[in-house]
Amino acid sequence: MVKQLGFVLDVNRCLGCGACTKACQNRNQLAPSLVWRNIRKVEKTSKDHIQLFYLSTACNHCGNPECLRVCPAGAYAKRRDGIVLHLSEKCTSCKSCVASCPFGAPQINPQTNKASKCQLCYERLDHGMPPFCVQACLTGALGLKELKDIPENKLLRLTAPVPSLRLTCPSVFYKQPRVTRV
Amino acid sequence: MEFHHNICPRNCYDTCSIISTTRKGVLISVEGNPKHEYTAGKLCSKALDDVKRVYSPQRIRYPMRQRGRYSGFWERITWDEALTLVAEKILALKETYGTSLPLALNKYSGNFGVLHNAMEGLFKGIGATTRAVGSPCWSAGVEAQTLDFGTFFCSNPLDMAKAKLIWLWGINPAWTAVHQMPIIFDAIDHGAKVVCFDTYFSATAARAHQYVQVRPGTDGLLALGFSKVLLEEGLIDPTLQSYTLGHKEFIDYLETEISLDQCSKITGVPISTIRDLAVEYGQIHPACIWAGFGLQRYTNGGQTLRAIDALGALAGHLGQQGGGVQYAQFETWRFSGAIQNPLHPINSSSAGVPAMELLTLDNKQTDRLLSINQFSEEALKCSDPPVKVLWISGRNPLSQDGNLQQWKRLISELDLLVVSDLFHSKSSEAADLFLPVTTHYEHWDLNASYWHYWVGVNEPAILPVGESRSDLQIAWDVSSKLNKLKPGSCKFPTSGNEKETLLRELGPQMLDILGLKKPEEILKGPVRANFPRSAWENRIFATPSGRYEFFSSQASNAHLSPLPIFVPPLNPPIDTPLRLLTPHHYSTINSQVYAQGANNFDYVLHLAPELAQRYDLVVGDRAQIWNESGLLKVIIQPLLGISTDVVIIFQEQVEANSPLNCLIGTPLTDMGYLILGAPGFALNETFVNLRKL
Repeated sequence: MVKQLGFVLDVNRCLGCGACTKACQNRNQLAPSLVWRNIRKVEKTSKDHIQLFYLSTACNHCGNPECLRVCPAGAYAKRRDGIVLHLSEKCTSCKSCVASCPFGAPQINPQTNKASKCQLCYERLDHGMPPFCVQACLTGALGLKELKDIPENKLLRLTAPVPSLRLTCPSVFYKQPRVTRV
Repeated sequence: MEFHHNICPRNCYDTCSIISTTRKGVLISVEGNPKHEYTAGKLCSKALDDVKRVYSPQRIRYPMRQRGRYSGFWERITWDEALTLVAEKILALKETYGTSLPLALNKYSGNFGVLHNAMEGLFKGIGATTRAVGSPCWSAGVEAQTLDFGTFFCSNPLDMAKAKLIWLWGINPAWTAVHQMPIIFDAIDHGAKVVCFDTYFSATAARAHQYVQVRPGTDGLLALGFSKVLLEEGLIDPTLQSYTLGHKEFIDYLETEISLDQCSKITGVPISTIRDLAVEYGQIHPACIWAGFGLQRYTNGGQTLRAIDALGALAGHLGQQGGGVQYAQFETWRFSGAIQNPLHPINSSSAGVPAMELLTLDNKQTDRLLSINQFSEEALKCSDPPVKVLWISGRNPLSQDGNLQQWKRLISELDLLVVSDLFHSKSSEAADLFLPVTTHYEHWDLNASYWHYWVGVNEPAILPVGESRSDLQIAWDVSSKLNKLKPGSCKFPTSGNEKETLLRELGPQMLDILGLKKPEEILKGPVRANFPRSAWENRIFATPSGRYEFFSSQASNAHLSPLPIFVPPLNPPIDTPLRLLTPHHYSTINSQVYAQGANNFDYVLHLAPELAQRYDLVVGDRAQIWNESGLLKVIIQPLLGISTDVVIIFQEQVEANSPLNCLIGTPLTDMGYLILGAPGFALNETFVNLRKL
């Protein structure tokens, strides 16, 4: 792999406002039940502090994509820039990827009955434009970066509290969340 | 593909500049305008759904008549039928009562575009009518700031990036003014500390360094407590003498009337926190306070804002770059008003009649002004003549106003209720006639913000959807029909050109503010007003004394305390011990809904876990809240950082039979009459009881 593009989220700038998910939904013209990008709220409290942050997540375009490994039809491909693509023309609707992705990224498109997931707006990237979600982010919280350029110690893999989730090597990083004094 | 400049006309701080894309006359996408320094190329999640809204199957595309109010039996009629129905009714009323006062208009913020004031123009053209005046939103704060500063004016919001300390007081920009958040984050990146004061731990509090829970309605006392600490610690601006009035009297009030023990007990903020925060606020410059609207929706709301202003003044933050007390502004709204006034010199110059004579004639026409916040009660009291026709435009009172019972009574006494809107609403359920209006992608308009300094033109990107018409077109059409049935019966123009009408709104004063030579120059794109970056930067104020007024004679003339003082909010009655707050949700603006496919069938009641426990409730339980006005079924959801005497229902879309406002009366704020003609809506003084179902 020459490159590995990945989402980097500065959780201290993310408002959970939903502009990224709306942009993804509307600009990719997804059916209402199909969600390529999601926002999760994480809350932890202690006596003097509250930690509340939002995780905007989509397909993590893993270094070792499980979807690609399990797909019997060869309907997944990894580009040289790291993007994991789902090729719907090859998809046989077997749902292996849906069952095996540890992050629940692939979903069945109700209109085609085939798997479907975030393609990282690769056609836009090829034209030098950012993905819709990144373009829509109001605060600059969500970014797309070449991960090999970022020093590891600056980032966290918050999606991987369970060790097994690290096996696929998800290409997504988060900045350390701040806490609020109460 | 074609691109157009649009402006989001919603009642929101941000008033975004939008670039819309059309293909073969169809709107296909909307994006923020990258050339607009506040919008900065981004839109909120509400505006991002605009394409879906414009073409929504739920949108009403034709004039409709309801066979029986609340029946839901709507039949499509032609515009000619609709206009005839309205015009004949108006003429019949004039005939019966000898005046047009039985005709009433209730209009507010459904679309803040200037050309929507055509409705006021139409009513003025008909004669003396009954009007809703005042604001359900910001009245007390507007008046408080006017007493203190002479007018309400805020700094360019980009100025906040320079602050070293930001206090977000009773405001949740992460949900209601998203474009301010990157500016606040930039300040944080440059070392600023952000403190959020609120009644619950909001999405904004989550991004702040410190959250301070304040008991609702006691923020004014907290500000006075901070001022008292500034006094004790010697952190008062030594130059107050040169630009303020009455600081000695204010200091005397703090010394004699404010005790930190009491302040802490009533506000719920520990004394040590009050001291630490006050010292920080006194020492760090520049420090900016942003006071929200929710703060002043109490019976003591005006005093609260005055106390916060006074705190900013005492510490010497006023007029400093990146500092000050920010609330809102209306200085970029100095449009000519030609559209509201058919007898305006601009409109009548071509008629060959001397303008002054017409204006004198105009002044004889006295409208009957009813407070927008007690509209139904006051309209019911009108007997000579009674209100018989009501036109609701850009409003949804049956979902937003208090005292629903009175509203239903008023409606039962009306001969005709007209609603012009995009979608059916709680109010249109009661209407006889529904007139479909255009969205901002289908008409010309002119928009300003009540927060940032930009003013711009909204161009139509597509043709009107279905048979919808702009408010201006509807006003021309009604006037045309009236004049056809009875020549001379309406002085509002009967036709015109939307673009020319909007250019006439840029009079000499507005052109000067925007630094334009000719109105046409604004067609190129939004323009920023020529104001200094920071409000009151030379510390010359617009008050009668020219100084910041701690002591206001205008206030005492209006039978208010000349000094900002603490007046307690209402106490909960014994049988309804919980205060109900109903703040905005990120997916709605008042009753305008943007969440696609959100099918909530129940209101969610948010409360402190301890309070839930006291009522034997856990997450997801069904419960009921009620008071003397009404009753609502709710689902229980705990919320962080909320005190145990408060419950919160956010204004989300809910498919329930009872609207949220069935619980709300019409308590009024202490201020608002002087500046806006009516006191504000003390919405947050609503109390309920709770029980498990």
